[in-house]
Formats: sequence, C-alpha cells, structure tokens
Amino acid sequence: MSESRKELMRLLGDFSTIGIALAASIFIGIGVGYFLDHKVFEGKTAPWFTLIFLGFGIAAGFKNLYMLTKRKDL
Amino acid sequence: MEHPILFISFILEKLGLPIPHGPVGDTLLAKIVSPHLTYTWLVMAFLIIVPKLTMGKMEMIPGKGQNFWEMIIGGLEGFMAENMGEEGARMMFPMLTTFAFYILTANMIGLMPGFMSPTSNINITLGCTLIVFTTTHILGLKFHGVKYIKHFMGPIPWLIPLMFPIEVISHLARILSLSIRLFGNIMAKETLLGILFLLAGAFFAPLPILFLGVFVSIVQALVFVLLSILYFSGSMEHAH
Repeated sequence: MSESRKELMRLLGDFSTIGIALAASIFIGIGVGYFLDHKVFEGKTAPWFTLIFLGFGIAAGFKNLYMLTKRKDL
Repeated sequence: MEHPILFISFILEKLGLPIPHGPVGDTLLAKIVSPHLTYTWLVMAFLIIVPKLTMGKMEMIPGKGQNFWEMIIGGLEGFMAENMGEEGARMMFPMLTTFAFYILTANMIGLMPGFMSPTSNINITLGCTLIVFTTTHILGLKFHGVKYIKHFMGPIPWLIPLMFPIEVISHLARILSLSIRLFGNIMAKETLLGILFLLAGAFFAPLPILFLGVFVSIVQALVFVLLSILYFSGSMEHAH
C-alpha cells in the first residue's frame, strides 16, 4: 500500500467514528443516569440523575468532537 | 431473520443436537451449538490449519507461501509500529494480529452461501470489544501506575468534578461504538444478502451487495484494529 493510501485508510477509520461516538456517549449517559435513579436509589430521585447524566453524556460527545478538531496531525 | 441454510447447524441437527432457532438457545448445550459459536470454531480451525498447510517449513529464502504470510505479517507490524511505537507494537502485536485475522475471516466467511459471519452476533463483537477495553486500562495502569487517573482529570484542577464523569462516559462510549459498529455493519450485510437471495437469487440480485460485502468486511476489520491501536497508544502516552 502506498503512503497516501495508508493515510487515507487511517483517516477513514478515524472519521467513521465521529457520529457513532456522539450517539454512544449520549446513550451511555442516559443509561448510567437511569441505572442510578431506578436501581440504586429505587425511584426516589426519579428524573434528576437521568437528566444530569444526560447532560454529562452530551458534554462527553461534544468533547470528543472538540478533541478531533484539536488534533495536530491533520 | 433466519439464514436460508447453515450447513454446520444442519449437520449438528441431524446428529440430534438441540440447535436453537432463535439467536441464542436456552440450555447450555443449545448455547454451545448455536450458529455463531460453531462458526467461530470453524474460523478458528481455518486460521490454525490453513497457515500451517500453506507456510511449509520456514526457510532462509522464502517460498511462495512463506512470502505471502511474511508480507501480511510484516505489513501489519509496520502499521502498528507507525502508530504506537516500536515497544508498544512488539508488546501488543500478537493480540491485535489475532483480532485482525479473526475479524477479517469471520466477516468474509458470511459471503459464502451456507456460512454465516460470527461477527453478525453482538455477543461476539462485544466480547472482542471488552477485551480491547480491559487491555487499554491495564496498559495505562502498567505504564503510569496510579498516575493513570490523571488521564481522566482534564487539565484544570477545579474542573475535575465536571471532567471526571465526562471522561468516564466517553471511555464507556468506546465499548458501545466499537461493538455496535462492527455488529451493525456485518449484520446489515448478512440480512441484506439473505433477503436479496430469497427475493431474486436466480437473477444474481445479491451480486452488488456481495461486492460491497467484501469491501465492508475489509474496512471493518481494519477499523477495529486501527481503533484498538489508537486506544492503546492513547493510554500509553502521557496525560495532556
């Protein structure tokens, strides 16, 4: 494989993760919050942990995007 | 959706074993002989036997078979050394190459009629991903000791309560994204092939999808290995 082609494959691998990583972070956030609300505190704190961790999840997703824009080798 | 024919399941069913008709069986025996496991063993046997047969004796001046394998292994090692340094490449090479060969063969095998891709079952891809995830953090702990936790803290001290959950969530999201990407691509390929084969198999309707299937198989195997390399090198380097 030539050099530019190798680079292309690398970038393809990197950037094919953007969308799915954003979605996955948000779902992990909701999942953790839901688990804390309904399994750990048994519904006493009902919507709050879900909402807070949803916020964390969204922040994590956008932080990943931001880190991609900060990369030095692009 | 069920496959039209799976020949290993067919043979095992004729032998009287309880082949599950859903994705996963109920009893332990039904779980062991479920298609994704039997085809995993087929892939493993293929990967053990075929290199043994084709490579022959190792010689100073390589023959045809040895040349082929040396080219593939050398290419993979160079690729890893570029991305994670000589030391890391030498350490992680056996595991990552196993993943590369296993996932590539497992993806490709589903293109033949009568076979299925083990990677079109989420249990297999989740297993691979959990191995990668655990190894990432073991590597981090090995290289940095207790200071590995700085990777999760972010650069500013008073932002730690905010950054810590965000970093943990983005690490957990890797499990989800890595496993679901491989599973989704391969399952889509398998299902599409099955449907097109049933609808218009006589008119070669699955041919374009077979072509795309080869491409998707190679790209997904490459992406899985590439992302593992990136995660490993990320946990080995110093915290920013």
